[in-house]
Amino acid sequence: MVAALRLLVFGFLFLSVIYLVARAYARSVHREALEKEWAEHPKGDRDQFVEEGMRAYERSLWPRLLLAIYVVPTVLILVAIIVVNFF
Amino acid sequence: MRKIVYVKAAAVLVMLAVVAGFLHYTLPQHDIVRIVNTTERRVDTSRNRLFWTNAEEAGNASTMQDVYFIEAIRPDGRPMVYRNQDTGWGWPPYFKFDSSNVQAKARDLVSTKDNPQWVVITHYGWRNEFLSIYPNAIEVAPVDGPDVQIFPWFNTIFFVVLLGLLVFARRVWLQFRERAIDPVIEDVEEFREDAERTVTRAKGRLRAAVEKVSRWLTRR
Repeated sequence: MVAALRLLVFGFLFLSVIYLVARAYARSVHREALEKEWAEHPKGDRDQFVEEGMRAYERSLWPRLLLAIYVVPTVLILVAIIVVNFF
Repeated sequence: MRKIVYVKAAAVLVMLAVVAGFLHYTLPQHDIVRIVNTTERRVDTSRNRLFWTNAEEAGNASTMQDVYFIEAIRPDGRPMVYRNQDTGWGWPPYFKFDSSNVQAKARDLVSTKDNPQWVVITHYGWRNEFLSIYPNAIEVAPVDGPDVQIFPWFNTIFFVVLLGLLVFARRVWLQFRERAIDPVIEDVEEFREDAERTVTRAKGRLRAAVEKVSRWLTRR
């Protein structure tokens, strides 16, 4: 039981680090794309354009897809338990 | 200069060897063998604890464990002995809890030299006689003959995913450098150039002032 708890805690911490890095990366890539878009077709204030684009991005589905970083390993562990022990 | 290159290359080689060894120990492999006996033996795991698992977990301070063993003969006639231990929730992450069942299956597949029943044993780990360490059997299953080829699906997928993760990590790093580090370096550079210009200007002004004063002093 102690081992399962340890896996849960350390697994969560480990995946959280990866999640935060991936989230920062995805945001950075999106921000860069917005800046390039503005550079090609400038309309209005640059900062305002980028900030609005980022707010729309936060509301979209993409950031939520990053939660797969938690879901996929959990599913893989369940699959491993079933395959290793019941086949 | 050349010495540093050698040291660097040696360090990289050592690191690669450690990673390769770690993966070779941890990833699953398939052996085709004939099981000749299954036993349970009490072993002292304190000497090389790294190469035994202890799913039972803390609490028992004793390093004496009862461990299942599967004794087998490979198609070329050489012997191989596997341990059969639960990994539980620990490392390596095989999540194996069914060592007793594996032992029962192995016992059921025992055969003789004259009437061999070939078996594929999925295992990880190394056999080393000097360290008295044994690979851990994960699964046993009967196969048709000693020449059966088993494609390492898991390892193939594992290395593809690993490569993908490395590429991703590199892209994250490049993005971070482009967006977070380079601008700071540019700022610092600009600041330094600004400061240099200011200093040069100040020096020039100071020199001019000194000249003016000295001219005034030497004026007759």
